[in-house]
Amino acid sequence: MNEIKRNPLVSKLKTQLDEGKLERREFLRLSALIGLTAATAYSVIGLPAPALAADTLPFPPADPAAKKGGTLRIGQLVAKMDDPATYAWNEMSNQSRSIIEHMTLVGPDNVVRPMLIEAWEPSEDLKTWTLHVRKGVMWHNGEELTAEHIAWNIRRWTDSATGSSNLGLSTFSALAEDTGAKTDKGKPIRVPAKNGVEVVDTHTLKLNLSRPVLSVAEDCGEYPTLIVHPSFVAPFSNAPIGTGPYTLAELKVGDRCILKRIAKTTDGKDFKYWGGDVYLDEIHFYNFDQDNQTAALASGTVDAIYELTVDQLELARSIDGAQIKSVQTAQTLCCRMQVDVKPFNDIRVRKAVVKAADNAAIQQLLFPEGGGIAYNYHVAPVHPEYFPLPKIGRDVEGAKALLKEAGYENGLDLTIDVGNTDGPWHQAACEALRDQLKDAGINLSVNVLPTSKFWEIWDKTPFGATSWAHRPLGTMALAQAYRTGVPWNETHFSDPEFDKALSEAEATIDVAKRKAKMEKVEKILQDAAVMVEPLWRPIYNLAAANVHGYMPHPARQLQLTKVWMG
Amino acid sequence: MIKLVLRRLAQMLLIMLTVSLLLFAIFDTDQFRKKVAVSELGGFGVATLSDSDYQAWLEKKGLNAPFLQRYVEWVGNVASGNLGHSMEKNVAVSTLLKDRLTKTGILAFFVFLIMIPTALTLGVIAGMNEGGRLDRVISILAVFTTSVPQIATAVLLTVAFSLGLGWVPSKSAMTDGWSFKELMLPLVTLLFYDIGYVVRMTRASMSEVMSSHYIRTAILKGLPYWRVIVRHAMRNALIVPFTLIFLQLNWLLSQVVVVEVFFQYNGFGRMLYDAAMYGDIAVLQAATLVAVAVAVLSQLLSDIGYVILNPRVRFA
Repeated sequence: MNEIKRNPLVSKLKTQLDEGKLERREFLRLSALIGLTAATAYSVIGLPAPALAADTLPFPPADPAAKKGGTLRIGQLVAKMDDPATYAWNEMSNQSRSIIEHMTLVGPDNVVRPMLIEAWEPSEDLKTWTLHVRKGVMWHNGEELTAEHIAWNIRRWTDSATGSSNLGLSTFSALAEDTGAKTDKGKPIRVPAKNGVEVVDTHTLKLNLSRPVLSVAEDCGEYPTLIVHPSFVAPFSNAPIGTGPYTLAELKVGDRCILKRIAKTTDGKDFKYWGGDVYLDEIHFYNFDQDNQTAALASGTVDAIYELTVDQLELARSIDGAQIKSVQTAQTLCCRMQVDVKPFNDIRVRKAVVKAADNAAIQQLLFPEGGGIAYNYHVAPVHPEYFPLPKIGRDVEGAKALLKEAGYENGLDLTIDVGNTDGPWHQAACEALRDQLKDAGINLSVNVLPTSKFWEIWDKTPFGATSWAHRPLGTMALAQAYRTGVPWNETHFSDPEFDKALSEAEATIDVAKRKAKMEKVEKILQDAAVMVEPLWRPIYNLAAANVHGYMPHPARQLQLTKVWMG
Repeated sequence: MIKLVLRRLAQMLLIMLTVSLLLFAIFDTDQFRKKVAVSELGGFGVATLSDSDYQAWLEKKGLNAPFLQRYVEWVGNVASGNLGHSMEKNVAVSTLLKDRLTKTGILAFFVFLIMIPTALTLGVIAGMNEGGRLDRVISILAVFTTSVPQIATAVLLTVAFSLGLGWVPSKSAMTDGWSFKELMLPLVTLLFYDIGYVVRMTRASMSEVMSSHYIRTAILKGLPYWRVIVRHAMRNALIVPFTLIFLQLNWLLSQVVVVEVFFQYNGFGRMLYDAAMYGDIAVLQAATLVAVAVAVLSQLLSDIGYVILNPRVRFA
């Protein structure tokens, strides 16, 4: 631990804390980012670690009242469990997360904690990360988890042939190299970089990244980053070997998924879970569509549900003893325009659209409780590096003037495509936008597509409403969506200055400096007027009175290891 | 008769072949393949794939083989009893189909068990008293229940009996295993429409018979009324409803989609819905085969029944 304490990054943070540039809570969170356990972080600032923080586990503190036993029944869509690296829905990873586990776990408070790797140390340039694999972690087949196993997983993700969306995360993208070969569409074929993942010893590995990355710990906790055993062959559900406390007893897609506690390894040893006490005997997922989940809980068919939508809050409130919890997130909707397609290639048109929109009104209309107003730069207050730009208001006259200047004095007809991929509130947001734009002389028609159709065109339509999931760091979303040429750059936004500023922010560990650098990044994006991003939506969840420790999570990850029934 | 059966079975095979060929043709588009890829890998995931990776993925899923080759392979597999593999549910289609058909079969069994005696009794009573008060009440009820869409019935019943009175659970997922209580709402929803329909048909048939000359003659010659009804009227009046009831089997298989999806009952209808939403072609194909078979077989049974009941009709 002394090595970690002497880490120059830690001393920098410490100096900032001493100078009052950093709050204590922020210090703890940032220490976690660069690989300190909470206990060490407390000791660095000379405080006795609270009993809970002394624990190096990623889970919430153990509840002394917790009782063992029982079954938790959860209402959610029951998905197939094919290849964890290509999981496309949260539901798939929810069913798997108690069987296979991440290297790190991002908690309900948006703070990342060590899981299968118990510590990580970045070099000062953030290009080399040493990961310490947790010792004493047992696979269900009796083997011990080693650095080699983790390396095998990472190499697999960084091969573009796997088709894993993990390749879109900065860390793993910086561990892949172009083969030079390109497809006819000009997309590069990528393979694991030669010296990218280096196994130092049985429980240590080194990531040699091709560029500085700040979000290694967060990236390792994203939902498709579950670590499978190297003997893995898809579908995972056929031979589910993991390190978690549960195993898969039954999977019927669209019907049920039954998890049971593991007592013995397949080679006959007693299975000991590395993560301490686990309470539930069984976890059952029962297939209920989003619209049906609340009703299923109301009639006692399930104990908890995965998604409580805002239109069901009333019904949820009427259920006796039901616990409704909510959490702030960076989940959002971007009504984004492609900057190289007429008429959006004229920045005056984009600016007019943005000016005519009233983000605050849309937020108030859709999520009157919880949630927050966004101001079109895709970094949220829950992000540690959030720099609050001055609030912008609505300016209809300004919009009209810009339209006139751009040659649309008699009005402009636009169509926005929306697929309600995250619920009907997308459509409601677009309809509100339509009414607002009318005042500035823009006739917006809202083209509602079925979800699957929308996914065919989401990155091709000139004007579309895309939902973006929560990411623990603001830079993660920006790097995936707005950097020049990245696969998910749906706006075709390309600004070398933005790329440079973003890279600089990503490479800065010093918080005060990083926040300051984010100002420029956010401002460039906001000024480019590529989207109307009206709000940050809250996540709600719902559980019966006897369920304890069932927390809503900003990235909608169900973490069930410490849930108990009482 | 044997000729009729054979001809119908031959027709059935032909329809199955045609429909499956059409389905294959519909699904043989790039758009459809993209849809399957999106369902499998997610919208963001597909955007990450390079073109060659996408092609490799198609290859792995067997989606990029030429149309005819895939179709011929599929016919060969089906002929040898292999219905393929469900891409969405990751399970053999035959296993899935067996499970789901059993569930819907149970539902259908209870529908028929309750519907046949209830509808026939009410229909006969109404037909006997054509124009009377009892007939009015039964007829109005029957028209009412058949004219309410099932989705509305389902919502009304849920609000009243589940959320309001709390007598039955609102959903029928059968999470704790088989439960008749959970079957109640889908059952009643299906019965609601079906009983009304069969009542109206039975009533029409019965009232027609009741106004025929031979019934008048039988009554006039002094036979006891109940004997006229049971021996003379009902025998003839029930021919039509009887054949009709077989056709309900076919009707049920399509109507059940709404009810099963609403109540989250994991039967054939829900499977069909899921497969259509996902683009799970192997399941869709198998479900189509089943639907065609049920349609043709129920018609065949209905025809055979008609011949047996009505000696005047003879098939050449």
